[in-house]
Amino acid sequence: MKTINKTSKKPSAKTARKATSKAGTKPKGAAAVLEGIAKYIVDEAAKLGATDCEVSISTSESVDIAVRLGEVEQLEGAQTRGVHLQVYVGQKSATTSTSDFRRPALRKLVKATIAMAVASEADPFAGLPETHHLAKHVPDLGLYDPAIDAMPVEKKIQLAIETEQAARRADMRITNSEGAGFSNGGGIVVYANSRGFIGSYRGNYCSLNVGVVASEGTEMQTNSWHSASRTLAGLESPEHIGAMATARAVRQLGARKVKSQVVPVVFDQQMAARLLSQFVGAASGRSIDRKSSFLVGKLDQVVASKLVTIVDDPTMVGKLGSKPFDGEGLPLKRRTIVKEGKLETYLIDAYAGRKLKCDPNSGSTGNLHLQAGDKTPEEIIASVKNGLYLTSVSGPGFNALTGDYSLGAAGIWIEDGKLAYPVSGITVASNLLDMFAGIIAVGSDLEFRGGTNSPTILIDKMTIGGE
Amino acid sequence: MIILATPESELYRLFGLSHTQVQTVLGDAIKNTGGKNATGDIFFQAGASQGISLDQGVIKSTSQSTTNGAGVRVVVADKTGYSHTDHVNITNLRKCARIARAIIEHSNGATNVPLAASGEQHNLYPVTSSPVDAELSDKIAILKKIDKICRDYDPRIINVSTSISCEQQIVFIATSLGDLFMDVRPLVRLNVACLAQDGTRRENGSSGYGGRYDFSVLVSEDNYTSHAHLAAKQAIDLLSARPAPAGEFDVVLGSGWPGVLIHEAVGHGLEGDFNRKGTSAFSSRMFEAVASPLVTVVDDGTLADRRGSLNIDDEGTPTTKTTLIEKGKLVGYIQDKQNATLMGAKLTGNGRRQDYRFAPMPRMTNTYMAGGDHTPAEIIRSVKRGIFAETFGGGQVDITNGDFTFSATCAYMIENGEITHAIKGATLIGNGPKALHNVTMVGNDEALDRGVGTCGKNGQGVPVGVGMPTIRINGVTVGGQS
Repeated sequence: MKTINKTSKKPSAKTARKATSKAGTKPKGAAAVLEGIAKYIVDEAAKLGATDCEVSISTSESVDIAVRLGEVEQLEGAQTRGVHLQVYVGQKSATTSTSDFRRPALRKLVKATIAMAVASEADPFAGLPETHHLAKHVPDLGLYDPAIDAMPVEKKIQLAIETEQAARRADMRITNSEGAGFSNGGGIVVYANSRGFIGSYRGNYCSLNVGVVASEGTEMQTNSWHSASRTLAGLESPEHIGAMATARAVRQLGARKVKSQVVPVVFDQQMAARLLSQFVGAASGRSIDRKSSFLVGKLDQVVASKLVTIVDDPTMVGKLGSKPFDGEGLPLKRRTIVKEGKLETYLIDAYAGRKLKCDPNSGSTGNLHLQAGDKTPEEIIASVKNGLYLTSVSGPGFNALTGDYSLGAAGIWIEDGKLAYPVSGITVASNLLDMFAGIIAVGSDLEFRGGTNSPTILIDKMTIGGE
Repeated sequence: MIILATPESELYRLFGLSHTQVQTVLGDAIKNTGGKNATGDIFFQAGASQGISLDQGVIKSTSQSTTNGAGVRVVVADKTGYSHTDHVNITNLRKCARIARAIIEHSNGATNVPLAASGEQHNLYPVTSSPVDAELSDKIAILKKIDKICRDYDPRIINVSTSISCEQQIVFIATSLGDLFMDVRPLVRLNVACLAQDGTRRENGSSGYGGRYDFSVLVSEDNYTSHAHLAAKQAIDLLSARPAPAGEFDVVLGSGWPGVLIHEAVGHGLEGDFNRKGTSAFSSRMFEAVASPLVTVVDDGTLADRRGSLNIDDEGTPTTKTTLIEKGKLVGYIQDKQNATLMGAKLTGNGRRQDYRFAPMPRMTNTYMAGGDHTPAEIIRSVKRGIFAETFGGGQVDITNGDFTFSATCAYMIENGEITHAIKGATLIGNGPKALHNVTMVGNDEALDRGVGTCGKNGQGVPVGVGMPTIRINGVTVGGQS
């Protein structure tokens, strides 16, 4: 999918790390060197007149392989690194970044950042987290798999080629390929601040994907599937990834429009995960403080059906969303955001905590998920007489301020509890509060495939825009 | 005495490398190919970008980042090797070249001869000083004025978020044909968003503008005042907007930013890579009628000061004005070097990349639909029951089946040729190759957007322009809640 937006898009940060610890085992090798740089910056900032300072440093190495129609199409290898620095002079602050790690350059940067802060204006709520809120230890969450780094390029190419072959073999109607890819990357992240926190972790990840084109007559439909993991062994097999991509492309052939109507909508795992991330995004403390969320004033209130329990757990071992501390050095814990329909907490970073007068509990999430229910996806589909099985949405039509939701949609129409025929060129619309209140079934099929995960869900009614 | 900087002297000043050293690295990158025809280039980038934002009446962030890196690319027919470094020196460049040249052993023997860039480099955005270097205190003062203008507009405006972003990037492209190109690229942008509240109802309005020009142009008082008013008005209008209806409607799109339609419905589908691979809904449809005869679509990277404009693309090719659809007939694709070579087409100057960390691809610059004969008022009067959409959030397209979606943030119902009330939450969906046949009226008010678009493709964002006159399209599916 290609997009255009009024906001600039930042490249997604694929980060994956392993913990080393400040208090327990001392960091070794590269992590120790980077911690040394972080400490140098914090010390220099204090010497040069900053009242507070925080630094994050990351280095990563990545390999991206793309194959198409059985041949290697693109090979990319890269080392990336960066220092991000924020200094405070009283309540004034400034942020800078660079990839130049040489000490004279860093010292110059610290000086320039302090000058920028001085020239800026005070925000009475700006500042680092209080010392007693910072993480006390850095748990090892098993984020690094040496097997990924040890894998030879030839083997990675072979995996990608096998995945594409599996997809093209799976159905005669696959007439073209967008290619298959294997990517892996990893590195070290360091965070340090002038309140005494210093911590680092190291980790890596790998992913395997394929996109295919199915056609019949002049019609073409494309679809893809991917698997990502922190361990090589955790990747889905080339056969499975290929078969999934092909099944998803082929089943959209012959897609048609339906009439405008109000019907129940089944969200598949991916669509439900996307919806969940939109909902929880609105629970950000900063949005609440700015009155820019449909969840303003909803704390401790019922915001969803009783079937909805939303959990955030960055402490799970070896998952894609796992991390030992957040970007402000705050500790991460398992927390329940919505319990049986009731909003239990907002996501509070240090700034939002000061504004909302509560303790911070981290503004970020990791391994966010909707707790599994007791129905299989098949049972959920079978319970719908006339409705939509939603497998793809498009466009920017979600408004986090009002909760209004209106997106382009494609999927399979459900008739008498059975998947009947593919649909596209339609829209689905409602409001997130109505949608979450209307969740009448939650599937048992929760899988941890990414940072945000959900089982299949059924929403009682949404407006379909069609003919 | 003024000594004029040359690409060679600037490369040496910013990276400490001579063009001869760079050519040696390139030569090593593509040597010993066993008769296979490899080419290469190195893209250098040095610059700074700055962002200042005001929210809730205070300066929330003041940030600046410096960029300094290079990417080495080796191309053999349809195969590409790429590697970048964030720390440019001769050792790291050689390391990148070694990684990039690994692609050569995967060559299938095809030996396309690469096209050399030809034509004169433009001078579309001469600036006297980097917008990043303008005084911070001036930038802060303007943000505070905007905050006040919005709050004075209506007491229901309860918050204002406004920001200024500035950057200046110097890029160099050294090619294995021996060339060294340089371009100095300023980019500025101002954004304003208003939050309005009436009782428990809250709505957002936003506006923004920018381009490749001096900071002083960005902050002319007329400019920011009109955008502050636009954002405030939109937020206030939405307070009384009703939910959009669902179903098929005749739709009037306003001029300017609604050109997102053109970007999504046809622009992406005409990019060379998708067409070479046969995965676009427009593949193999050259010279066919793909739109109403009223529709002419152009991609033009040569417009002065525009956000989507470039003196040269990121492969060193001067940008051009390329007609994509002429009176409904498909006549052109958007090309980079690799795809133009493989398709036997001419270069259009559309090889672009987000930054030195990425290999280039065919990308749009400023893409717009040309004007027609009707006045906007005539077009609105012609609609019995329909929708007038003038402000959009953004859009998305599936290249292969041609389905596009874009969302109106503020729209109005048209009843019996008159605009009646504001509606919100209208998503418009259609199929590129089909929808443009249903364009029945084209206005005489052709305009580009105000310079805020960022286009995303394969994880790379690049600044673009879009544009359109007021147009009428019949039978568009609108997805509202009522």
